[in-house]
Amino acid sequence: MTFRQARWDEPAVWDLAPPRGADRPPEISGIPEKLRRKEAVRWPELSELEVVRHYTRLSQMNFGIDTSPYPLGSCTMKYNPKVSELLARRKGAAEVHPYQPEETVQGSLEILWRLERILARVTGLPEISLQPAAGAHGEYAAMLMVRAYFRDLGEIAERTEVLLPDTAHGTNPASAAMAGFTTREIPSKDGCVDLEELRRAVSKKTACFMLTNPNTAGLFESDILEIAEIVHGSGAMLYYDGANLNAILGITHPGRMGFDVAHLNLHKTFATPHGGGGPGAGVLAANEKLGPYLPVPRVVKKGRRFSLDYDRPHSIGKIKTAYGNFGLDLRAYAFILSHGEEGLRHISRRAVLNSNYVAARLGKHLPRPFRTLVKHEFVLSGAPLKERGLRTLDLAKRLLDEGVHAPTIYFPSLVEESLMVELPETESKRELDGYVAAVERALSDTTENLHAAPRSLSVTRVDEVRAAREPLLSWKDLRATGAKVETP
Amino acid sequence: MPRWIPDEPGEESALLEALGIASTDALFTDIPKRARIGRMGVGAARDEPDVVGDIDRLLDKNKPLSKFSSFLGGRLGARYSPAAVDSIVSRSEFYTAYTPYQAEASQGMLRTLFEFQSLWVEMTGLDVANASLYDGATAAGEALLFCRRLHEGTRFLVPTSLPWEERSVLENYASGPGLRVEGIPFDDRTGRLDLDFVRAAVAKKDVFGVLADVPNGFGHVDEGVPDLKSILGDVPLVVAADPLSLSVLEAPGNYGADVVIGEGQGFGISPSFGGPLLGLFACRKEHVRSAPGRIVGATVDTEGRRAFALTLVTREQHIRRSRATSNICTNESLMALAFVVYATVVGPRGLAKLQAALAEKARTLASGLGAIEGLQAPRFDAPYLGDFTLELRRGTGEEFLDRLRRRKVLGGHPLKDPRPGGTGGPEQILVGISESTTEKDIQKYVRAARAAVEAVGRSA
Repeated sequence: MTFRQARWDEPAVWDLAPPRGADRPPEISGIPEKLRRKEAVRWPELSELEVVRHYTRLSQMNFGIDTSPYPLGSCTMKYNPKVSELLARRKGAAEVHPYQPEETVQGSLEILWRLERILARVTGLPEISLQPAAGAHGEYAAMLMVRAYFRDLGEIAERTEVLLPDTAHGTNPASAAMAGFTTREIPSKDGCVDLEELRRAVSKKTACFMLTNPNTAGLFESDILEIAEIVHGSGAMLYYDGANLNAILGITHPGRMGFDVAHLNLHKTFATPHGGGGPGAGVLAANEKLGPYLPVPRVVKKGRRFSLDYDRPHSIGKIKTAYGNFGLDLRAYAFILSHGEEGLRHISRRAVLNSNYVAARLGKHLPRPFRTLVKHEFVLSGAPLKERGLRTLDLAKRLLDEGVHAPTIYFPSLVEESLMVELPETESKRELDGYVAAVERALSDTTENLHAAPRSLSVTRVDEVRAAREPLLSWKDLRATGAKVETP
Repeated sequence: MPRWIPDEPGEESALLEALGIASTDALFTDIPKRARIGRMGVGAARDEPDVVGDIDRLLDKNKPLSKFSSFLGGRLGARYSPAAVDSIVSRSEFYTAYTPYQAEASQGMLRTLFEFQSLWVEMTGLDVANASLYDGATAAGEALLFCRRLHEGTRFLVPTSLPWEERSVLENYASGPGLRVEGIPFDDRTGRLDLDFVRAAVAKKDVFGVLADVPNGFGHVDEGVPDLKSILGDVPLVVAADPLSLSVLEAPGNYGADVVIGEGQGFGISPSFGGPLLGLFACRKEHVRSAPGRIVGATVDTEGRRAFALTLVTREQHIRRSRATSNICTNESLMALAFVVYATVVGPRGLAKLQAALAEKARTLASGLGAIEGLQAPRFDAPYLGDFTLELRRGTGEEFLDRLRRRKVLGGHPLKDPRPGGTGGPEQILVGISESTTEKDIQKYVRAARAAVEAVGRSA
């Protein structure tokens, strides 16, 4: 297969019709001179067709799930069902304002309420808030809840530390630190939490242990019940990072594993589109201890009527405007209805089957650092490439030339030259075999070709070092240097 | 079960066979029995037509904005978006992509985000914008933490009139590092910030940042905001600006703002019951290494062609972990795309014309409502653009709005904090105008308001 991405010599939007500027915007009565804009916003005046062509051309220089398998580990890039897109654009969904009176938004409230009830069953944690805008935002809100809980217990002065494994997503320590905790990493043993290290680290200082299960090495933490016991033994909370929930739907859940609070990424497990970087939706799920601390308002049902309840004296308050990313909640609800109980379980069974199949095949070419039974994703090491003067980065770039996206690379960091691969349940065996064949072709290609990759995309290898050393961060910067977009 | 999971006959058995196992049960032996669950109680799968039918029935219980004459305004609007915006946002090369970690495969999104950053830089008069935050309120929270990295102190000053939701979000962002958010009082007649209060607070050397919003929480434009920086000296000034207002108002960077944030929902993003939204953030170039969020930079490829990549990543959580400038990972990139497409389709002249038209209609409505005894509109003697505050002398805002609703008018939203023990105070309603507001809608509002006030008078 030969792959060629579109390669438009498309100028930047401002070079399509260089703005004259200078025109003064109209005067608005009452606005004093010192607050009036002196010059119109410097931006081009284009016809609608020119705008549409410009962004259509840019879109053709972009990979998405709809164009290519996208096996980013821990990102769960599955098919985004089109029916969800259709429903999210209905008038009754899109043209509803969050500050409309409750009587006029009963449908939206009922959808939020129904989704919350389902997610309570999926997580085994009874109290749900859909307010956080993304996974990291949910983590952060959860850490604020843990803080508020220990403040009410009178223990916050002592419980200052959040523990996490060295395989944790970077957002975990960042969220804990933003919530005012110090963080401490627990070394792993064979890719999983080392119980002895955990026992040594847990103390009266511990506020919380943050864990994802399966972890970022793709391994299920089989000692999870002991982990919960150790953490709870010191009075600390156990937090579930739901980024990897796709492996365990209907098989186990955070509640049964002993977690007190969790976040879920609707844009991973529940197939809402990631939008090239966002929006996401980071659902919070909590047990009875932490539930009272969830953000307000909570959606409640009284008789047949749904309303927003602000009367939660222990709540941390708001962490975002309105009630969460409703457009994504609706998409996730459609996704869950479509699968049902059996379908949700089937998702995880097939995702784990896909993962083990590809892991077994690719394991013949690159070393697998841990045990071979993996969950929805797995890790390989690109270390042997070094013998050829190559790195994992070169393999990743060469894969792009095959018309497939690269895996997550250089994470988790405890594996040298790591690649983290996740091909979820929506990828067929044909696509999996195609991906394996692409990796095989890439590995058997010449060293020179790997260094020179990619060659079939809109640009060749991008100089990221220069981007950081000589930052050009806007048109204003380009103007200052006289640089254009389409040519250097 | 949906067609989304492949089920070609023989396919799954071929996968199992390759692994030498009989069923997928063999793949879950690492999950201890005691940790297993039984049925979740989620219900059976539905076919696509049923799902569409079910959800349409639920959505039919909503009354969308088009069923009313709507005057909901403030930070979240209900403004019209040209169809071209959704057409571009619906291109699945954009919406089904992940964060552009592999720059070469993602030039389309990277270039779009670079254009988005450039637009916010032009609008604000600052140097650097990030590739988006979650919403205007969390942008304020990030701005607070950003200011603390630039300046010592424990106190962050914000207008007392800041919308309660934003104040609550800010207090959460402040709580981690043990910082305090304090309200700046305002003049009762004009709603203007008390600059003497700010001067006195700053003199105590413990203020690390000040936030002012344009328009403010009352929808009015505070003429004192451009004078703030001369009082603050090296204390950072954050201006929370409505993007549309910047088509006619001075770029805050030109009057000393160090950070300009905003809520971008009005630019091509449907209200969708409050999300997704779009957080805007710009700062000065010398502070960029303290900035939160993803940033796209221009560079070149190996052939010297212009190329783009995520840059200055050592600020971020995946590299810096607990010492990152922010925990943000997923942002609102697709909404940033909507923002830049909207602004480009409408164009700078179109934006200014739109803002002027909204201001004109707002004045007509305010004078109509102001003529009714028992109402004060606009509540403050200060300029305004598309929003203003209405104050009731009798009855509650809820009751007033409920009476309007029965006449198919959504008259605005109450400014009060709805939480028990929240701010009491006068019965004030924020009223807003949109493109769809007609002369007839305005007359309808005025008639309905007069009837509502009279009804309250009778029942009192």
